[in-house]
Amino acid sequence: MSRPAGRVLLAALAMLALAAPAAAGPMDQPGYAKAMTCSACHGVTGNSRSDAVPILAGMAPAYFKKAIEDYAAGTRPSAEMEPFAKQVKTLGVEELAAFFAGQSREATPVKAERAAVERGRLAATPCATCHGDAGQGGQGDPGNLGPAIAGQPAGYIRSQLLLFKADKRSPGDEPLTKMKSILKGIPDGTLGDVAAYYSSLR
Amino acid sequence: MARMTRRQFLKASGTGAGALAVTGLAGCASMGGEIDPKSSRRVLVVGGGWGGATAAKYVRAADSSIEVVLLEPNRKFVSCPFSNLVLSGVRALGSLTFSYNGLRESGVTVRHEAATALEPDARRVRVADGYLTYDRVIVAPGVDFLLDQVEGLAAAQHTVLHAWKAGPQTTELAKQLRAMPDGGVFVLTVPPVAYRCPPGPYERICQVAWYLKAKKPKSKLIVLDANQNIVSKTALFRAAWQAYPNIDYRASNKVVKVDAGAREVTTDFGDTVKYDVVNLIPPQRAGAIAVQADLVGPDKRWCEVDHVTYESLKHRNVHVVGDSTTGLPVPKSGTMANAMGKICASSVVHLLNGRPAPPIPPLNTCYSWVNDREAMAVVNAYKIENGKVVQIEQKLTPGQSTLYAQHAEGWAKSIWADVLGSGGPA
Repeated sequence: MSRPAGRVLLAALAMLALAAPAAAGPMDQPGYAKAMTCSACHGVTGNSRSDAVPILAGMAPAYFKKAIEDYAAGTRPSAEMEPFAKQVKTLGVEELAAFFAGQSREATPVKAERAAVERGRLAATPCATCHGDAGQGGQGDPGNLGPAIAGQPAGYIRSQLLLFKADKRSPGDEPLTKMKSILKGIPDGTLGDVAAYYSSLR
Repeated sequence: MARMTRRQFLKASGTGAGALAVTGLAGCASMGGEIDPKSSRRVLVVGGGWGGATAAKYVRAADSSIEVVLLEPNRKFVSCPFSNLVLSGVRALGSLTFSYNGLRESGVTVRHEAATALEPDARRVRVADGYLTYDRVIVAPGVDFLLDQVEGLAAAQHTVLHAWKAGPQTTELAKQLRAMPDGGVFVLTVPPVAYRCPPGPYERICQVAWYLKAKKPKSKLIVLDANQNIVSKTALFRAAWQAYPNIDYRASNKVVKVDAGAREVTTDFGDTVKYDVVNLIPPQRAGAIAVQADLVGPDKRWCEVDHVTYESLKHRNVHVVGDSTTGLPVPKSGTMANAMGKICASSVVHLLNGRPAPPIPPLNTCYSWVNDREAMAVVNAYKIENGKVVQIEQKLTPGQSTLYAQHAEGWAKSIWADVLGSGGPA
């Protein structure tokens, strides 16, 4: 680049900077401000670092919305999430669902025990129908709401499997009937192994 | 007191009242000029606790063209949440202690010095050697103790501990508890509302009672509560205390006097109670700088703020977050301070860029440990209606459990990172 051209470019850049002092930061992303308070438990941009709390980054919007509806209605039991789901509904569930769906997922940093992962791999065969060979879920297929569970924390997956097994989560939901009947035949310890397996997938 | 040297006075004031101590001396301190003149728009943050540290980090994250300077005299961040577990020996204080390096990595300039005075009209904050100017300031001074409301407390404050700001007093009170003979009496006093962390004293009662039951079974815990009943999670604490027959809970017993020589406290009814170890949690108000800067309302204790921007109702370009605020239907909790810090940061960045601040409601979740392995929680959800924060719902966990203890651990890990960035335990 010739020198004068460089100067012109610099001047143009300087003018641009003057014209737009508020560089587009994260706050300009739709939903950012509304999602900000969730990070206390779900991590910045929805990438939870704890074993008990699910990762929201990259979650399919339809799954997110159903979760909020069920938490708010009490059909997905959580003392913590029931009030917050109602708060999300007043804020606008669509915007929050879109925000978290747009964040890139970072798998849980909580390491699963290797032996449990290996046992879980064998026990997880029936799960692949909806959750995919690699736990990637239905990936937007309207006929398959199965969530992507690869890399979610094991503690969270296990707690949800136990709720499904006892029919305490979303009782009466027709698409879940098959999964619940499969889970009834699996011991709790094995469910922990399955959870470890999916949490280890990337 | 009259014979106290300046050094003793500063030392006696402790970290919590440090800002007050220096303020009191501002007249004779050097009135230096401007230090570190700002080169771009600057947000000053006074206080690096849950609200201030969060606000500093989030302003910087939202708009890196804004310079952020945080003033915090303490070199380490020590978490008040979970610090009751240090008294029972379940956790070490080191596991609750963090550096400010995560904030530095986020681009925040951290200055370990106290703000001695805030001058809203001049838009500047005084420190020991001069002053720093700002475009907007976020004040997060936490609470200070009203020692003069308990006769004898100011003189006895080295031995009569509050341990209500996690740090050296936490370690010291744990030592006093360990050294107490079996058969001794531990007296814990609860101040009248409003005070930092409504369920905190009752969680502490659980932890002390749990420790005494296991290690000093002939000992007793007498609770003198200035309030008419357990202030928070009432039914859950009542249920938890079934496991602790060593608790003697006395409501409507406000402590007005302490005699460290005779080892006794006196209530407003004139009853005296003897102790071997006392944990006297004094009445509280907003941190001293909020009082100095005329941010407190008619009650002379707490700061009234706009519910959307957290701007002071008394001074423009001054925002207040955390325990020192009043008027919102919210508890003085760590989660709440963290939420306020983020929302205030968003508002400040919008306003500095000439845009209206989006109305974002805060939220609260607050876990209490009832023994070494079980916890319970209260959750509060909010909305904004006509510019005011309104509660949608408050919900308690159905009881105490190890599952909620796991949730508590997860919450702590997440929120410490949210407040401080990537800085791990110090």
